[in-house]
Amino acid sequence: MSLTSLSAFEVARKVKAGELKAVEVAEAALAQIQAVDGLSGSLDGGAVSADEEKKVHAFIQLTEKMALEQAEKVDQAIARGEDAGILAGVPVSIKDIFCVEGTTTTAASRILSNFEPPYTATAVQRLIDQGALILGKVNLDEFTFGSSNESSAYQPASNNPWNTEHVPGGSSGGSAASVAAEEVALSLGTDTGGSIRQPAAFCGVVGLKPTYGRVSRLGLIAFSSSLDCPGPISRDVRDSALMLQAMAGVDPKDSTSSTRPVDDYLAALGQDVKGLRIGLSPDYDAVYYPDFETGEVRKEAIQKEVHDTLYRSAELLAKAGAEIVENVPMPNTAYGIPAYFVISRVEAASNLHRFDGVKYGYRTEPAVSNLSELYRLTRAEGFGPQVKLRILMGMYLSAAGHDADYYTHAQKVRALIRQNFVRAFDPDGGHRLDALLTPTTATTSFKRKAVFGDSLLMQYSDQMTVSSNHAGVPALTIPAGLDEAGLPIGIQLIGSDFREDQILRIGYAFEQVSRDEAWREARPQVLAGEVKA
Amino acid sequence: MKDYEVVIGLETHIQLNTNTKIFCSCKADSWEDEANTNICPVCSGLPGTLPVLNEEAVRKGALLAAAMHAEVNPLSRFDRKNYFYPDLPKGYQITQFDEPIGKGGYLDLKMADGTKKRVRIHKLHLEEDAGKTKIEHGTRLVDFNRCGVPLIEMVTEPDLRSGEEAAQYLIQLRQLLRWIGVSEADMERGHLRCDANVSIRERGSQVLNTKTEIKNVNSIDSVRQAIDEEAKRQIELVESGGKVESYTLDWDADRNKLSLMRSKETEADYRYFRDPDLLPVKLSQEEIDEIIASLPELPLDRQARFVAEYGLSEYDADILTNERSLSDYYEAAVSAYAGEPKAVANWMMNDLSRMLNDLGKTADQLVLGPKALAEIIQMVDDGKINAATGKSLLKKVEESGSRPAEIVEKEGLGLIADSDALRAQIEAVLAGAPDEVASFKAGKESLLGWFVGQVMRSSGGKADPKRTREILLELLKK
Amino acid sequence: MSLQYITPELFEKLVGLAALELTEEERAYLFEEMNHQLSSVESLRQIEIPEGTIPSLHGLNPEGIPPRADDWKAFAKPEQIVALAPESEDGMIAVPDVKGAK
Repeated sequence: MSLTSLSAFEVARKVKAGELKAVEVAEAALAQIQAVDGLSGSLDGGAVSADEEKKVHAFIQLTEKMALEQAEKVDQAIARGEDAGILAGVPVSIKDIFCVEGTTTTAASRILSNFEPPYTATAVQRLIDQGALILGKVNLDEFTFGSSNESSAYQPASNNPWNTEHVPGGSSGGSAASVAAEEVALSLGTDTGGSIRQPAAFCGVVGLKPTYGRVSRLGLIAFSSSLDCPGPISRDVRDSALMLQAMAGVDPKDSTSSTRPVDDYLAALGQDVKGLRIGLSPDYDAVYYPDFETGEVRKEAIQKEVHDTLYRSAELLAKAGAEIVENVPMPNTAYGIPAYFVISRVEAASNLHRFDGVKYGYRTEPAVSNLSELYRLTRAEGFGPQVKLRILMGMYLSAAGHDADYYTHAQKVRALIRQNFVRAFDPDGGHRLDALLTPTTATTSFKRKAVFGDSLLMQYSDQMTVSSNHAGVPALTIPAGLDEAGLPIGIQLIGSDFREDQILRIGYAFEQVSRDEAWREARPQVLAGEVKA
Repeated sequence: MKDYEVVIGLETHIQLNTNTKIFCSCKADSWEDEANTNICPVCSGLPGTLPVLNEEAVRKGALLAAAMHAEVNPLSRFDRKNYFYPDLPKGYQITQFDEPIGKGGYLDLKMADGTKKRVRIHKLHLEEDAGKTKIEHGTRLVDFNRCGVPLIEMVTEPDLRSGEEAAQYLIQLRQLLRWIGVSEADMERGHLRCDANVSIRERGSQVLNTKTEIKNVNSIDSVRQAIDEEAKRQIELVESGGKVESYTLDWDADRNKLSLMRSKETEADYRYFRDPDLLPVKLSQEEIDEIIASLPELPLDRQARFVAEYGLSEYDADILTNERSLSDYYEAAVSAYAGEPKAVANWMMNDLSRMLNDLGKTADQLVLGPKALAEIIQMVDDGKINAATGKSLLKKVEESGSRPAEIVEKEGLGLIADSDALRAQIEAVLAGAPDEVASFKAGKESLLGWFVGQVMRSSGGKADPKRTREILLELLKK
Repeated sequence: MSLQYITPELFEKLVGLAALELTEEERAYLFEEMNHQLSSVESLRQIEIPEGTIPSLHGLNPEGIPPRADDWKAFAKPEQIVALAPESEDGMIAVPDVKGAK
């Protein structure tokens, strides 16, 4: 087994046991990146050759020197008999939305193309403190606004390693792609409406959105502050548990972070799922969206293979001893997207006020003589169209002079969405669920350029994931099959507040019980052995 | 001309004297610092940063609310006020829009004619300060040192009726802020900033007419003048048939002139919404009770008590309660002193005050403590030293730190206590001035003063003038 | 024929409020997208909100961390922050004067 296909857990174990040197691991990762990644995304990038079309393009910035220095440190610590951390020698990529000192942090935007932060995000620092090696910053939709990675100002944007004509999903597209392509073992992404889980599902890897406040947001360039969650992306459940273990916990620099003690997630994996109650809901079996011509609400069934995979997975879990509870009503799920539009756009528009060409990042050239012009030209030239769309939406939804207070109204709807989960998980209620099992996405990955920009259809595909962002509850996506075109299908386990241990446990059990399934034999296109080094 | 009434409301921004800023751990006071040296990623609005609330800013805010007799809200929330300006690094200010830390309340002003005037408070809320900018050759230069300093914004109801009342409000507010220790309230350093809203109406009317806003009136005198000027301008305007527009005006303190800053109330849409990075500010009932209990006796109450308990005149009580440590000092001195509180008052209002001014100190910074002062006054009363010596002792104790009695002994400052020794001194003087004695006996009684002076000279100032006079008269009349 | 939720005038006002400037192409695209998305947002109005529903700010009620102690901790390298500015003078960040804006 090649070094790059080792799990993070195995790498750390071997490095700590002296069976492997961290520097070897770093070099293997760098070689793999060299082999499969192709051009890094850049501001001047664009049309690529046929050869490049087959590459992953996960990275914006490769941090080779940093990774090797970190690897040296790990090896030296091991040599001295010291504890090198639970992620000793594990290669990691970081979504380029996190400030990391010693790197540029672009948010995949021109407006931050030269921004070098003088501090490091808490989540990243904790990974480094536990011995992880930072291989580089990976691509995303600009400012995390999008579900396909296509809106990045850094082109070429990432491709799906299973089929490079398809998108990796978004906004953590580069994160999911870099893990699926075995360039790194772990990636740190962010999830605001599904931005970890959707790309993880599209790329056939594991992704976890922790409970809101479980992992510090300090250093994460904010999109929607009340929804943003940093979280792990990995190739198996145990690795996500390991990465969460390294990062979780209160941060005195994040007022919304939780003081709740951190569970032992690895210990949780060892337990079986006998008697656990896992729910299925008809409200997650279709996508509900308004026809913008008529205003009517339409219902679109999810992709048949996704539906079938979900039910087959439920059967497997039942075989493992879980109790499947059907017909759990979650009627407010349909409100998730419109409420998300309001809340996320209002918060995002405000969070993006600070990008004005004054203090850091891009400033319009040539110099202007008028402050107002400085602001307008800088932002016009620095932001891509998807960002402008969200800002304008946010302005409209929070501006005075409406008869509706959109934001407060959406927050009430949010409360209703939360209530569905509270009722489903209530230990004294009718369903008494330990977890809810749903599809992660309504469809598998689509072709690049197939769904243009920020169309409603693209947005509504987040309907399965966004409700857990509203409610704050944790949610895990795990690969569960492939569709007829060979594209990955993910299933989602949603848990109650701070019960990451529960959903990781169920996810791990699913991995065990589906271990011998045929679809697990398939490999992503870029790993099929055809790509030259 | 009709009889007009001026209606004024004041909006003050008070810089709290916490150690650190409201949402990060940079210093709150950086007046002396070089530009952009007291900054961190949080207060300079770097991407990815988050605010963390300073507990002391909450406590001082609540304390001020309590001192203003306002309702301290057990739950208050932070909101974002969004707009673009270079001194606002995040592009929004974190403030409290509709659920502030304090609601209602009042400040009772003591006017010069002895009457009391109640100025009602609309609300007080916490917010962060912006940075400073200055213009130099067409460029705006920005300094973030002040970004994030904790402010309390306090808005009055339109209860004030003249520039003088507004000035009094500021004077007494400033005294209160220093008294309870929430702000240095030095207007020259921007610790206390003021905007005035001014309108006029016919006396007797209850209507509130269009008001103008005068910004940045940053001294007591400016407030008084600017308001009076504006009132005059509005009256003249209305009398000549014009209409008051809701302008925003700027006061030029150097030229004593108002100038137009903004004509139409440019519809600034701040798009207020709850800041999702901060949790609600919670104060339990116990905490609120503790804060209220920790309030010291306030200036006006103490002033009244000094008049009642110590028999001081209002004027004297006013001076002695001007500043908190001075009044604390006074009480301590009175309690250490066996005699009349009035005597202590006299010493403090004259010689001690002078010394405090010369040294630039407040009473609590003196080496000469209240007990030492009481000792000095007592020694003069007892005739151990004369008044002049007593006064000089103030400085000597302050400089040396020694006790008054020790200094008197060491430097031999004591009055000649022994009557016989004094008598001997006096007899010696009389013996040496036979002509003057003869003149006195012949009727020139005014020479008594001269004899006293001589005795004082020969004794090196240690003769008790009173006793000396007595003995002189006794001997001369023989 | 799609429903129109905002007028071109309001759209321009929002562009100004957002300190943006758009090309004709962007204007056309964004205006249309906004109307589409607003149709989705309008569907929120149809939802019946039971009396007494409290607006949820974070989903769960984060208990978060208590306010911090008032202790000074200087940031080690403030000059690094100033160095990020596109233009600075004598340690201060430089921007053109406001004139011309109002």
